Amino acid sequence: MQARTQTLWQRILGIDRRWLYLILFVNIVTFLVAPIRMPASVSPPVQKFHDEIEKLQPGDLVMISSNWSASTLAENQPQLEAVITHLMRKQARFTIISIEAQSRDISYRLAERVTKEKGYQYGEQWAHFGFVPNLIVAIKGMVTDLPGTIKQDVRGTEVSKLPVVQGVKSLSDYKMVIDVTPSGTVPIWISYSPKNVSILYCPTSVMAAEAYTYLDSGQIKGMITGAKGAQEYEQLLTVVGLGTRFMNAISFSHVLIIVFILLGNFAMFMNRLQQRREG
Amino acid sequence: MHMLTNLMAQQTIWRLPEESRILFATLIVLGAFVLILGLAPVLQTLPPRGRRAIIVTVTFLAGLFFAAEFFLPVDWTAIFPKDDPKRNFLTPAIQPAQNVLQIIGALALGLGTFGLVRLHLRNAVQRRAQWGYSIVLLVSFVVMATLSILNTLAEKEIVERGPVLKRAFSILFDYTLVQLDAAMFSLIAFYIFSAAYRAFRIRSIEASILMFTAMLVMIGVVPLGAFISYTLLGLPEAGAPEGANFLTQLEHSIGLPKIANWVLTQLNAPAQRAIEFGVGIGGLAMAIRLWLSLERGVT
Repeated sequence: MQARTQTLWQRILGIDRRWLYLILFVNIVTFLVAPIRMPASVSPPVQKFHDEIEKLQPGDLVMISSNWSASTLAENQPQLEAVITHLMRKQARFTIISIEAQSRDISYRLAERVTKEKGYQYGEQWAHFGFVPNLIVAIKGMVTDLPGTIKQDVRGTEVSKLPVVQGVKSLSDYKMVIDVTPSGTVPIWISYSPKNVSILYCPTSVMAAEAYTYLDSGQIKGMITGAKGAQEYEQLLTVVGLGTRFMNAISFSHVLIIVFILLGNFAMFMNRLQQRREG
Repeated sequence: MHMLTNLMAQQTIWRLPEESRILFATLIVLGAFVLILGLAPVLQTLPPRGRRAIIVTVTFLAGLFFAAEFFLPVDWTAIFPKDDPKRNFLTPAIQPAQNVLQIIGALALGLGTFGLVRLHLRNAVQRRAQWGYSIVLLVSFVVMATLSILNTLAEKEIVERGPVLKRAFSILFDYTLVQLDAAMFSLIAFYIFSAAYRAFRIRSIEASILMFTAMLVMIGVVPLGAFISYTLLGLPEAGAPEGANFLTQLEHSIGLPKIANWVLTQLNAPAQRAIEFGVGIGGLAMAIRLWLSLERGVT
C-alpha cells in the first residue's frame, strides 16, 4: 500500500522536536555571543528595589537570604552580584544566610569574589552565616536571639565576636532582608521577620507572578525578577554584569517561541482549510 | 532536689550560665537518649492503638506549646515577678525548642542519606539491574562528601587548605556539580519551547485570549519589547502628563512593557491573591488536622 504523502502544513505540524531543540540552541548561542546590547525599560518593581537600597545609610545592616543552587544560577547569580555591588556602593554591612545546602558554598564563594574586588573586609563589613536547615525555625530564633541561633559563621568564628554584627541581638537590628531564591520562601520572611525590617525579593522569573500581590500590599518593598530584572538593575547601577549578557539570548528566545507559536497556529489553520477543500 | 526547686523558681534552665547550661543540656540529651532506648522495646510491644495514643499526645503537646507561646498574653510579672513584661513565660523556651527542631531537621537529612546509601549498596552487592549506576553514585557520594567536609574544615582553619584539596574541590564542585546542575535545569527551556509550539493552539476563545496575553507579556518584559515600542514605533516611554486628553494618555500607555506590567499587576495579582487566600485557608485546615492527628497517616 502506498503511503499517503504529507502536505507542507502537516509536516510543519508534526516537526520532529529535535529540530526545535536545535533551532533554540543555535538561537541561544548566537545571541549570547552577539555584541548586541538593548537597553531595558526599568520596571516599577526593580525601580522600587533600587530606591529602597538607595535609602540605606553607611553602616546599615542588611540580611541576604541566599537559597539557590546551581540549577537557577542563570537567574539568581546576576541578581545576587548586582545586589552586593549596590550594597557595597552604599557602604552597608551585610550578612548572608542559606537554607539551601549547595547555596552555602555558591553564595559564599560568589560574595568572597565580589567583595574582594572592591576591598570589602570579611568579618568587618560582611559575613556569611552558613547553612541552616529550617528557615522558619531560623527566623524565629534570630528574632529572639541572633547570635544564639546562628552561633558560628562559615569560618568558625563565633557570631558574637564578629565586628560586622557587634551589638546585634536580634533580626530587629537589621534594616532590611533581601531574599534571593527560586523557592516560595518570601511569605515565610513576611510572616516571621520583625515589622521594622523591610523585605526585598529576588525570585526567578517563574516565581515572580505570585509576588505581585505582596508588592501591592507593601509587604515587599521591591523585586528583581530573574535575569531580566538583574539586567534592569545593572542598568540602574551602570554596570555590565551577567544579567545584561544573558538578556539578549532570553529576548530572542522569547521572540523565537512567539514566532513558532504563530507558525504552528497558521499551519493548523491552513491544514484545516486544505482538508475542507479536499472534502 | 534543691537545685531543681531553684531552677523552678527561676523557671529558666536556658538562662543559666554557659557551663551549667551545657551540663544540663548534656544531661537532658543523655536522659532523652536513655529514655528512647528504653522506650523503643516497650513501644514495640504495644498494640497499634496504644502506639497511636502516644504519637497523638506528643504531636498535640508539641503543637500546643508553639500555639500557646504565640497566643498567650505577654505580661506575666504578676505570677513571675522576675519575668520580662514584654514576653510571656513560654517565650524563653522557644529558642531551645527551635534548636531541637533544627536537630530533627538535620537528622532527617542524615536519615535520607542513610536510606540512599543502603539502597545503592544493596543494588551493588546483589548485582541488581543497572548496578553499575549504584557504584557510580556511591563513589561520587564518598568522594564529594570527603572533599566537602575537608573544605569546610579548611574554611574553619581546622585543617590546612593545600593546593590538592583546593584544586580537587574546585574540579568536583565548581566544574562538575554546579555545571551539571545548571545544565539539567536549562533543559527545561527546550521542553518549554517544544510544548509551547505544540500546545498553544487557537481552539477556543479562552485559548486565544490566553495565547495573545502570554505573547504580549513575553515580548513586553524583555528589552526587545521596549526597543519595538519606544525606538521602532516611537511611543513615549514616560507617563502621560497630568490633565492630558484621552488620546495622549492612550499613546503613553500602549508601550509593550507598560501593557505587560498592567497584565501582571492588574490581572495576575488579584488572581494570585485569590489563589493564595484559598491556599492559606486550606493550609490552616490541614495544620489543624495534623495537630489533632486527624490525618489518615497517623496510625
